[in-house]
Amino acid sequence: MRNKIVIVVLAAAIAATAQTPGRKIDFPVDSPVTAVSSDWSETRATPRGGAFLLDVHAVLSLRNSSQRRIRGVTLAVLAQEVMPGGKGSVSVPSLDVGPGEAFPLRIDLPLLCPLGAGGPMVEVKLDGVLFDDLTFYGSDKLHSRRTMTVWELEARRDRKYFKALLEQAGGEGLQKEILSNIDRQRDRPSAGVQMVRGRSTNTDPERELQFAFLHMPDSPVDPTTGAARIAGNEARAPHINVQNRSDRAVKHLEMGWIVKDKQGREFLAASIPSDVSLAPGKSGQVSEDSALRFSERTQIDSMTGFVSNVEYSDGSYWIPSRAALNDPKLRALVAPSPEEQRLFQIYRKKGLGGLIDELKKF
Amino acid sequence: MKRHIVETDLALYAAGDLRLWQRAAVHLHVRQCELCRERVAEFRADRKALREVADGLPEGLDWARLSAEMTGNIRVGLAAGECVAPRGRTRKSIPSFIPATWRPLALASLVTTMLAVLLVGGWWLNMPREDTQTLSRAMRSIWHGRRAMSDERPVIEVSSDGIELRKDGSTLGVGQDSAQLVGVSLSTEGSASAHYVNQDTGQVTIASVYAQ
Repeated sequence: MRNKIVIVVLAAAIAATAQTPGRKIDFPVDSPVTAVSSDWSETRATPRGGAFLLDVHAVLSLRNSSQRRIRGVTLAVLAQEVMPGGKGSVSVPSLDVGPGEAFPLRIDLPLLCPLGAGGPMVEVKLDGVLFDDLTFYGSDKLHSRRTMTVWELEARRDRKYFKALLEQAGGEGLQKEILSNIDRQRDRPSAGVQMVRGRSTNTDPERELQFAFLHMPDSPVDPTTGAARIAGNEARAPHINVQNRSDRAVKHLEMGWIVKDKQGREFLAASIPSDVSLAPGKSGQVSEDSALRFSERTQIDSMTGFVSNVEYSDGSYWIPSRAALNDPKLRALVAPSPEEQRLFQIYRKKGLGGLIDELKKF
Repeated sequence: MKRHIVETDLALYAAGDLRLWQRAAVHLHVRQCELCRERVAEFRADRKALREVADGLPEGLDWARLSAEMTGNIRVGLAAGECVAPRGRTRKSIPSFIPATWRPLALASLVTTMLAVLLVGGWWLNMPREDTQTLSRAMRSIWHGRRAMSDERPVIEVSSDGIELRKDGSTLGVGQDSAQLVGVSLSTEGSASAHYVNQDTGQVTIASVYAQ
């Protein structure tokens, strides 16, 4: 009996502490998308220590109020912008939403905000919208213009590849390729990796490990040398020297960082994005003051870097071709593009006919 | 030594809350009585420990709200207890060895103790597991005479299960119930992303957490 009372009291105490946070959808007046409806019924805030843990579950219905087709949307979801864990985002790439059409956007994000006056609050802001002509609208505080443009270019590349395959090898050839890619995605190795900003406190003896590089023939930027500091199961402060071999200035590039452990396992550990200022033919350095910490049983043996995308100063981009991604190491480790993941799911759900219909849409 | 001082007077004496004439009498007794002197020392140690616990409570704690919630919870608990109690049960009276004049004070002490237990218990239960571990590590470090280590940097982790963000002992996870996780990625700029595909529509959603 006493146990029942204790359980009732504790359940009442827990229920009494959870509360519904305030919420606000704040889109600009001239926004190309408008919120038609929103359902926040499952969103809860629970005090934990000195902060609220916000379990944000919302479904928004957005309408394209512009005159152009929308290819991607990124929303910033803010509980406390400057607090670690207080900021998140939700992006939906590979859209094809015509003027006046509505589409759903689901937000599932736990966030943190400090205990304070006014109670917990979730604010949803528009960070950016990408249109089919690659023009962009938005504040771009989260650099969504770059990420959504790269996703859209990858989508066009992959749709073109599958369409060409359908023409050349027919439905059977397309099906064979899709099944092979689905298998590869399922078998793609992954490892638990922690990312730590700033200097590491690891006390193990340090050594410098040189990067090896995968050179892509058509890449405008070529990595030359590079290294990171290794201490036990931690790699920190990667720095890579690169050369712009194109005839255009480069302002941003992103590199992939592949790690191989002493047991021979390889996985894509992280990407290293970096703002650079590389005039044609000039060299520069990509570096980050951060550390990657792997599981205890992962002892780093070697590292490989490759250029995954480049943004020129004129606002155009380079992404690897499908041929370049056919490198055996990259095929095994690099994740499929969001569009390829979407096409895989359409194949799983609707079969080959559904996939072919989807490829014929645009 | 004919009689020892009653415990409540010793507790008030330890806290410096006795009236002047009582304080002098108790002081005289305590100087001569080892047993009462030990009891006073114990009360002082308890007060010090309580102060340390109070110092460890989170900054900016809304005491008025917490007190209201605790009072509400106690009422809910008492009401629930009444609901589940067998019919016809007779209430136990306050033990007869407590003098009638002391009963309000005893009742007040009991309620205060319950409030304190609920407060500390609730605080402890609400504390994330990582906080408990951090506190345990700090206490072990103090016990062994070492300086407590603290990790003030935000840490984000990706695995085949999704993303977790840890900061000051708090853990933040990202997950979508209605969709399949198809990949995670980490950027050395300080963000982690999880890619989900809706099982029915194929719509891809990319949720990101920022460590700073």
